[in-house]
Amino acid sequence: MANVKLTNVVKVYDGNVVAVHDFNLDIKDKEFVVFVGPSGCGKSTTLRMIAGLEEISGGTVEIDGEVVNDLQPKDRDIAMVFQNYALYPHMSVYDNIAFSLRLKKMPEDEVYERVTRAADILGITEYLMRKPRALSGGQRQRVAIGRAMVRDSKVFLMDEPLSNLDAKLRNQMRAEIILLRQKLNTTFVYVTHDQTEAMTLGDRIVIMKDGYIQQVGTPTEVFDMPKNLFVAEFIGAPKMNIMETRLFRENGKWFVSPFGVKVPVEGEKGEALTKERVGEQDILLGIRPEHITLSFQGGAGLIPCSLEVNEMMGSELHLHVTTEDGSRLIVRVPTLGLSNEERKALRQGAKLFLGFESKALHFFSKETENNLLVKE
Amino acid sequence: MKANENTSLKQHMGMKAKTRISNTVIYIILVIMSIIWLFPFVSIVLQSFRGGPVKGMTNEIIPSIWSLENYVALAKTDFFRWYLNTLIMALVVSVLQTVIVLCMSYTLSRFRFKMRKGLMRFMLILGMFPGMLTMIILYRVLKDLGLTQANAVPGLILVYVASSGMGYYVSKGFFDTIPKSLDEAARIDGATRAQVLTKIILPLAKPIVIYTILTSFMAPWGDFVFARYISFGASKGMNVAVGLFNWLSKDQINSSYTMFCAGGVIVAIPVTIIFMCLQKYYVEGVTGGAVKG
Repeated sequence: MANVKLTNVVKVYDGNVVAVHDFNLDIKDKEFVVFVGPSGCGKSTTLRMIAGLEEISGGTVEIDGEVVNDLQPKDRDIAMVFQNYALYPHMSVYDNIAFSLRLKKMPEDEVYERVTRAADILGITEYLMRKPRALSGGQRQRVAIGRAMVRDSKVFLMDEPLSNLDAKLRNQMRAEIILLRQKLNTTFVYVTHDQTEAMTLGDRIVIMKDGYIQQVGTPTEVFDMPKNLFVAEFIGAPKMNIMETRLFRENGKWFVSPFGVKVPVEGEKGEALTKERVGEQDILLGIRPEHITLSFQGGAGLIPCSLEVNEMMGSELHLHVTTEDGSRLIVRVPTLGLSNEERKALRQGAKLFLGFESKALHFFSKETENNLLVKE
Repeated sequence: MKANENTSLKQHMGMKAKTRISNTVIYIILVIMSIIWLFPFVSIVLQSFRGGPVKGMTNEIIPSIWSLENYVALAKTDFFRWYLNTLIMALVVSVLQTVIVLCMSYTLSRFRFKMRKGLMRFMLILGMFPGMLTMIILYRVLKDLGLTQANAVPGLILVYVASSGMGYYVSKGFFDTIPKSLDEAARIDGATRAQVLTKIILPLAKPIVIYTILTSFMAPWGDFVFARYISFGASKGMNVAVGLFNWLSKDQINSSYTMFCAGGVIVAIPVTIIFMCLQKYYVEGVTGGAVKG
């Protein structure tokens, strides 16, 4: 129940390897913030600096208005869940959860009450007397969460808590974390490399790469308005299609010409380009696979291509197509929107035509890879 | 088909016979080895119960007169004084040394500080020099402190405990196998470093703790060279090994050999009991390593 403020935080290892550069972030009270990025981007290091497990090389970390740079982890009033659970193997589940409370010299009655309440919420009451090794991965993770829960600490830190679980269990636990968050109503900082987790859990997402923050925003913001090419490709699966093309104006209207096909940029996006005084230039054009419209007949502004691979995902198809110049794109099509004939026609080598809707287009500078429409 | 089965059966029988023969040979060798190995121990036990006027060495293996007189005679000598000396030293050293070794190992396993690697390398090299090299200077220092001869017990404790930090290898190796995230989880749960060690690491490293206690108990219990040197002929400061050895000297062996054997048996008793109780952990401590997270 506190805000966390990171100001100019820097982490340098062994005097020369910089893991985190000038990290600034204000996490509000009761906010759920997710750090996401590829491995080695500094997200875990940042979390561990908040926890006090890593020394802070520069800048300040404040919890609830107090600078905690020099405080031991035990004095920061935080709870943390680790990727590998880090349960104490020699203690029963009950003792694991009660460990922190007993260290605080809490009376046994209250310990009992808190542990059983947490176990109840997490559905692990029947395992309380077992040792961690007699539990499955999902149960162990619940115990780890329970251990963090009973403490009623100011901040709840989670370091890739679902990475060791199988896909099905991960989905289930993800939903449970959302429920847990509603019950606990405290500040959460969550680290993951999985963009789905980031999108579904976070109030705000911090996307990191090579120790730098790439973008901070709500899931909708980072999805709709990625600040640069990295964010655009990182968020969303399958990833955004990127193609080199030219952005130009004709008679006051904006156009792009992917694969030699002149596609008009109309509506909001066109107006925005004008408003932001974007100049004609070579750009990287981005469009998400689910935003490409598919048709079997050619027409103005449609890009001809041929189907290479048709991946049936159940509710949707992932079509890998090749354009005339050999570039590969991915198109996501919901199966429900297709007639049986159309589904049959989607064979390898089928001729298809792709439509790019203006509002789904993203324009990135070829030089800086920044989104032309997102300003600092 | 039938023929095939027959040959495989024959082969099977052949294998079985071969295994039996090789097992027999192995067991015969093992039996001979254990007889050779056990003989001195058995003979000492037998000799300790030998009564009669002859107290020196004889040719008889099984005593003709059985008696407990050797054990009774021990009470009239300084033997129990030596025994007590040894016990005090072994107990104090095992406590102090275990504490020092475990703290040292935990520090080297978990903390990162300047010259950590250098310190470890330095101790490794230092450990390669035989301890005997320090004998003369040690005697000199202890003599100036008044801790030799009759006062050898505290002096020896000092000698045994002084270098115990260097025995960190085995337990550090074991601590290294315990995931660091357990320490981190405990520290976030509110534990101090000392609490992490006592509440998390040590319970998980039980075999290695017992191994450390045992080895640090055994060193003073069986030490001869330093003990003899520091006590320097003063019976009050001797341990059992030194005291008993005196009974084997030229002028005493004929009158005290059977008593020496009785003393030897008494010395072996506590060690045997401890080993029997802790054998399970001892083996685990030396061979085991994996901790399931």
